[in-house]
Amino acid sequence: MGEFKGSANAGDLSVALSNDELHILINLVEQLLELLGERNFTHHYQSDDPFAQLMAASLGNLESAIEQPEDPVLRRLLPNAYADAESSAEFRKYTESSLRSVKQSHLMYLREQLVFPVDHELPKADIAVTDPAQWLIAINDLRLALAVRLDIKQESFEKYELMVDSDQQKPLFAVYFWLGGIQESLINHL
Amino acid sequence: MSSQTQIEEELDLSKFFDNLWVAIVWDDPVNLMNYVTYVFIKLFNFSKEKAHKLMMQVHTEGKAMVASGSREEMELVVQQLHEHGLWATLQRDDHGRV
Repeated sequence: MGEFKGSANAGDLSVALSNDELHILINLVEQLLELLGERNFTHHYQSDDPFAQLMAASLGNLESAIEQPEDPVLRRLLPNAYADAESSAEFRKYTESSLRSVKQSHLMYLREQLVFPVDHELPKADIAVTDPAQWLIAINDLRLALAVRLDIKQESFEKYELMVDSDQQKPLFAVYFWLGGIQESLINHL
Repeated sequence: MSSQTQIEEELDLSKFFDNLWVAIVWDDPVNLMNYVTYVFIKLFNFSKEKAHKLMMQVHTEGKAMVASGSREEMELVVQQLHEHGLWATLQRDDHGRV
């Protein structure tokens, strides 16, 4: 499962996912969305009123230089752009909230596609992938986030293969490598 | 060539190189090799061969310079690379210095 069919060029790209796989993915997507939501300036202004949105945007701009996030996952997803902390903080001031928004929008899109078959109680999902670029980035961000939590290194796959089934971390590693397979399959069908 | 002209030329060159910045992509154990190649093609319009070569450079040497230009241009490139989950930074181009 998690295999893509068709091709992006032909416009018939789709992916088959079981209910279990959907639940795992939706869970991960929502956890990452929650994590990214922290310190999102526009997040607190959910009104459609254009003035409220304008206020949210200019409040963001008024922020002084901001430091690196504390959570290591956010540090990886929203990395420093410069070697020195001062230039990085200055760069963050103008770019971090938009980088967060871009990542959130990819994840929201993926969530929407995954939630549909669950909400309609379909026995299994055959999802038409109309925007593979968003899928790729969202899945990549999920892998980056999991990799930080699992402390993934170059040699982690060999370690995983030697893990005993009773190891509590094994299912998490399995999900991480499964996501890599999904991403690989998607790239091969572009 | 008079020494005065030489000095002036050096001044002009150093001014030029001070304005040259580069975007660097760093290796990490997570991003798949063909994903990195895909991102290079998508963002920089590189041929498949060039994108693959740069990706291999990141993988084997730990980093590769993927673009150069003004500071503003490189900030935009780094932002796009971050949007795609690649680990990237920008810095002044040291090699171009006279």
